[in-house]
Amino acid sequence: MMLLELKDREMVPSAFDDISFDLCTRRKDVIMMSADLAHYCDLYKVTKDLPSQYVEVGMAEQNQVGVAAGLAKTGFIPVTSTFGSYASRRCFDQMLICMGTSKNTGICLAFTPGISSPAPIHHQGTEDLGMLRAIPHATVIDPMDVTDFGQALDIACDTPGLVYMRGHRGTTPKWLDPASFKFKLGKTYPLRTGRGIGVISCGHASQWAVEASDILTDLGVDHSLLHVPTIKPVNEQEIIDYCFAHDEIVTVENHQISTGLGGLVSEITSKVGRAPRITRIGVPDSWAPGGSIGHIRKHFRLDPNGLAKRIAGVKA
Amino acid sequence: MISNSGKRIKSLELWAAKIRRNVVDICMQRGGYAGQGVALADVGACIFFDEMRPDGDGWYHDRFINSNGHDTIINFAAMVEMGIYSMEELRTMGADGSPIDQSPIEGARGFEITSGSLGTGVSQAAGIALGERMKGSDKRIICLLSDGELHEGSVWEAFMFAAHYRLSNFVVIIDNNDLGATGKTSDVMTVEPVCEKMAAFGFKARQINGNSIPEILESFEEARNTKDQPYAMIANTKIFTGIKVYQDAIPFAHFVGANGRWDTGFLEWEPGWQEILGTIEGLENELAALG
Repeated sequence: MMLLELKDREMVPSAFDDISFDLCTRRKDVIMMSADLAHYCDLYKVTKDLPSQYVEVGMAEQNQVGVAAGLAKTGFIPVTSTFGSYASRRCFDQMLICMGTSKNTGICLAFTPGISSPAPIHHQGTEDLGMLRAIPHATVIDPMDVTDFGQALDIACDTPGLVYMRGHRGTTPKWLDPASFKFKLGKTYPLRTGRGIGVISCGHASQWAVEASDILTDLGVDHSLLHVPTIKPVNEQEIIDYCFAHDEIVTVENHQISTGLGGLVSEITSKVGRAPRITRIGVPDSWAPGGSIGHIRKHFRLDPNGLAKRIAGVKA
Repeated sequence: MISNSGKRIKSLELWAAKIRRNVVDICMQRGGYAGQGVALADVGACIFFDEMRPDGDGWYHDRFINSNGHDTIINFAAMVEMGIYSMEELRTMGADGSPIDQSPIEGARGFEITSGSLGTGVSQAAGIALGERMKGSDKRIICLLSDGELHEGSVWEAFMFAAHYRLSNFVVIIDNNDLGATGKTSDVMTVEPVCEKMAAFGFKARQINGNSIPEILESFEEARNTKDQPYAMIANTKIFTGIKVYQDAIPFAHFVGANGRWDTGFLEWEPGWQEILGTIEGLENELAALG
């Protein structure tokens, strides 16, 4: 299986520091950028040891994306970094106009996405996947751990146009086995097999789904897990096949339940019709509180026990 | 130093007149940003036919980013003279199904960026300037924007950036025509003093008459000789300068409709068309007399 056994799972400190340094060491055309948040996005080594591959723009996220698009027009592969709230909301026009209409690769990384920021509302970007997947030809990726984050970033560097990718900062789980997991754009990944309830998730929420799955397994609830790291362009047939192989579908995402993964799955299955019921779990149409991720998850019943109960409950 | 010979200036005046003619020709079909195009013809002529160095392959070594989509009509009008577009194509501008956009999308012949969303071009131009320098290239980057575009905060982010990185290969031209979308820039939201603001942001800045070819050339020369900082040419222009009958009839117009009526009052195209054709003929004779 792609999912590492519990005993083999580890937590990687400052994962993006290594991912970015490794990428810039291998590819001299990659430029890391920041809007005065480098250290808050685990960008240290590139800034110190590879200064020619680092561009700081100050607290000016719109300019960051515009400058990045300009660098792309000179043959570089720019990777902007900031928090997801700013990356999506503040720079949307720049992403759409400067990168989205271009064939040049432009990568925008969105750290502390969704409710993974402790600062309420202003630092929490729970709308980004929906916003970004509305841009024609854009690529939108929400990785779950160190393994698919690093692999997806590599692929992004060879993907034309705008690539919006959610990032992980701080101590980040390594739950996918690099030996068996190979990121491919659009591909969906079964993490646990079963029938009954099909749980589709992306990003941080795929970690949450695995945690809930451990509890569901103990409870004897028949279910399976599908990790969907590519929000756009996703392999629609794989989503359809998965949905029709189950009695109930639950989507779990670190995002508003509208417009994101749940919306995507609903749109795809509605094209076929007669699909199982889809229960969308994530951030409801309300503001999230601040605080630790554990606290916020509990608030929305996205904590392991709360989530497991909600998933099991769809059968009731 | 390149001499500002009479012949050089007269040649550029002729290029500018041809740009004006082409702008009017396009706008007579379905309307367009005629006033800006006519007024920017002198700046456009100096950019396309003097300042930018040819690459020997039909295009340019240097790069011109027109951030203000409305003003790209001067790019089209100049590129007709280079054979990159035909007037037949450009006369379809604004027509349903036409591939010619009033504010072109990246990838259209001769256009580096998607213009039209004001405030997004300067950052890209600054990024291009940085990228070219990082590659060790000697390309110079010219970015044109308008005074109304100065209302957009992102351009000031880009100015700060360009000065911080000491992008001496970067020239910003501000079309200072005191014109926004609905009225005078000075009434809608004051941007002056532009020159002082640019200097305060770290640019070497000079305010010139944007309809004086000698002043534009001198300013470009100063830009080339400026070290360690970007350069701002604040080009004061007046709508429709260069075609007197239009300037008298429409002292103030953001967009001119096909019949000259849209938000402009009344305009007959024909007298201005005849005037610019006469100007071209006169300049050709003067140039021939210079030998």
